[in-house]
Amino acid sequence: MTSLSISHLSVKLGEREIISDLSFDLRQGEIASLLGPSGCGKTTLLRAIAGLIQPTGGTIRFGSQLVGVSSVVLPPNKRGTGYVPQQGALFPHLNVAKNISFGLDRELYTKKQISEITEEMINLIGLPGFENRLPSQLSGGQQTRVALARALAIKPKLILLDEPFSALDAVLRDELRSEVVGLLRKLGSTAILVTHDREEALVSSDRVVLMRSGRVVQDGTPEEVYEAPISPEIAASTGDVLVLGAQKLTDGQTRYPLSLSGIAEVGSDTGYVVIRPEEIQVSSTSADGVEGSLIHIDYYGHDAMLTVEVLNSRTPIKARVVGPTQFVLGQKVYLKHIGPVRYFARQ
Amino acid sequence: MKRENKLGSFGLRALVAGVLITISQPLIYLFIRASDKSGQDIVALLTRQKTLDVLALTLLLLVIVVLVNVFLGTAIAAGLHYVKIPYPRILLVSTILPLAIPSYVFTYTWMAIFPALEGVWAAAYILSLSTMPYMILAVSISFQRIDSGLIEVARSLGLSKPAVFTRVILPQVRRSISAGALLSGLYVLSDFGAVSLLNVETLTVSIQNLFKSSYDRGAASVIGILLFFAAAIFVLFESILKGKDFESRGAEGFQERIRRISNPALSVFTILIIALYGLLAVVVPFYVLISRYLQNPGVVAFSDLFSAALSTVSVAGLGAFIAFILSLPLALLATQGPSAFAAIAGKVILISHALPGVVVGLALVSFGSRLGPLYQSVFLLAFAYAVLFLAKSVASTSAALTLVSPQLKEVAATLGKSKSGIAMQVVFPIALPNLALGVLLVFLTAMKELPATLMLRPTGMDTLATEIWSFAAISRFNEAAPYALLLVIIAAIPTFILTIPRAAKSDIEKKVRYL
Repeated sequence: MTSLSISHLSVKLGEREIISDLSFDLRQGEIASLLGPSGCGKTTLLRAIAGLIQPTGGTIRFGSQLVGVSSVVLPPNKRGTGYVPQQGALFPHLNVAKNISFGLDRELYTKKQISEITEEMINLIGLPGFENRLPSQLSGGQQTRVALARALAIKPKLILLDEPFSALDAVLRDELRSEVVGLLRKLGSTAILVTHDREEALVSSDRVVLMRSGRVVQDGTPEEVYEAPISPEIAASTGDVLVLGAQKLTDGQTRYPLSLSGIAEVGSDTGYVVIRPEEIQVSSTSADGVEGSLIHIDYYGHDAMLTVEVLNSRTPIKARVVGPTQFVLGQKVYLKHIGPVRYFARQ
Repeated sequence: MKRENKLGSFGLRALVAGVLITISQPLIYLFIRASDKSGQDIVALLTRQKTLDVLALTLLLLVIVVLVNVFLGTAIAAGLHYVKIPYPRILLVSTILPLAIPSYVFTYTWMAIFPALEGVWAAAYILSLSTMPYMILAVSISFQRIDSGLIEVARSLGLSKPAVFTRVILPQVRRSISAGALLSGLYVLSDFGAVSLLNVETLTVSIQNLFKSSYDRGAASVIGILLFFAAAIFVLFESILKGKDFESRGAEGFQERIRRISNPALSVFTILIIALYGLLAVVVPFYVLISRYLQNPGVVAFSDLFSAALSTVSVAGLGAFIAFILSLPLALLATQGPSAFAAIAGKVILISHALPGVVVGLALVSFGSRLGPLYQSVFLLAFAYAVLFLAKSVASTSAALTLVSPQLKEVAATLGKSKSGIAMQVVFPIALPNLALGVLLVFLTAMKELPATLMLRPTGMDTLATEIWSFAAISRFNEAAPYALLLVIIAAIPTFILTIPRAAKSDIEKKVRYL
């Protein structure tokens, strides 16, 4: 069942068109990431869905209900979206319990129900005992949890998370992210997560919506957008990438510096081949593959990125290896491409 | 949301327009009254030697006081902030405390010591003493906001300490120095008590003389308009001179770590300057007031004292409240971002800042009889206070409201709150401490106001200010002392609250900004 449906949406802020002719759908229970560089319009899109800004064209529907067209149909307070802005934005004058119960309408719920829901939410986010703390007495991670609980308490049709983890340090960020995603999945929530962190997008969602200057450029499962990017630039936005000049022969073969069939003649490229660094096997012993010389090692602990100079490529080759300690700078290595050949013709 | 704003803001704009029209009334009355005079008379009045002399004297006084403030006030603030001195916080409070002492009380305490005190230099001296806290406060707040990381970066880039001060610190506090100069300059232009006691005929004294002696309200209005234009030109001049605003990103938690310059000679010099100012502006006035009071404690009946204090507090409180209510639509407009209408409203408010008390008093008195039951009531006086101090009120109200982050309002909207729900449950609870602080500031200023109070108070009502004035004017310093002491003590309470618990205030700011 479609939970959110956006079609031909455009949004202008002042004279500048931030979002142009953008469409995408979200099914019930799906978690989607909006991934793109800053300024690409992802936060604007989120705010348009929440009803905080008015689109200039197109429609936004929640299920079959029309909530946004160029003249606003539903104001934000009637939409029932759970909005979690950057760094939480907790009400500084209210304690944790009152922040969480802030959106619970006293005409719809009894006092008892309100305190039950609040308690349930506090247990859900693992902060029992913190009811009377003020936001200023919470750590960054705790604040994000409370902001999430506040959004979940109103049983929203859709959760909108705007870079909620961006202010946290790396370790806490990973922990909290998997906790929050686990929670959303358990509750079966439909959610949109805005992020500019490519790993965050891949690891936490069912769908990755890639945005560039106000448009959706690719939309698919994390595997699809990572494995089958539609262009070299898009490939770079989901992970490290190696772009090599390549030549497509009339017999359908693709020749590039790491191809088994030999090397294309330098200067006769017709396009590019896009390779992920982990798709290159590096060996220091077996002479199976293209010979090169190891010129640089970026050591990350669990793995390393090797930079290798090969005879037939102006671009040094980057390859990711686990167990990096067996390599020394300057040694001779052999490279073998073991992944799919993604060829893109030159435009 | 945007569309909703447009519809909602129509009502707001109407309210703002209503406020602007209301506060322009005194000025309009003044022009109507001045137009009683023929064009020839007006030209003759404005070009006669006497008027030119008075104008020149007023401007001379303005320039001297502003210059003293810019140099000495900034230097004191810098010393308080960057030089290693004992108890910097207490010293800061002692330099702000003179805010509680009105200029006419300063004058009379010094006249009690030197009865022959008079003339333009004496006036410049007294007015510099009374206006210095405005400059020190404005510049100090600015110093506090400077990211000390910038200072460290500048030092690491090879700048000497004096070069850091002139190239990194001063450019960032320039606007505050300009604002302090504006406040002290307007104070000089509108001061009536000090110059009058010291026999210096400035424009305000001239207006009062024309009004009282000849009952020539037309002529008084013409000079009133002249004074208004002088002040308005000064305000516009400052708004051009101060230059562009830039956002300084205040660092949090860094302020405490500012390393003060520990140079014994500089420390001693700084302490001496501050101590001298404290001696002249705090110790001497208090000593005179207390000793005069103790010389004859029973000279004023307690009931007179009490009723004057009650009148002062109630009419100043009413004025501060009216100013706050009038400031709300203007402040709300300011929080909605820039627009042509907001710019016009801002200009009108800026110009209303230039209305001296004597001008507003004169305007409302001139038309008093047409105001029906309002005339000779405390409401008219409270309204005069509201007009006089609206600019202050708008500034503090909008500062308080803009501290509430727009994100919080948006979150509240997505959680189902209507506009009024957001205002009641989010904006006002968060802004409340700062709103209260703004009301307190206006209240403090209104309590000390003299010229409009003299002209507009209902018959038979005495405030502390008018009692001090009537006794001091005839050199009965002993009788004036209890009133002055009481006024200064009441006024000192808000002054303390405004300065000492900076920590508590910045805590609120921090809490809000931290979101």
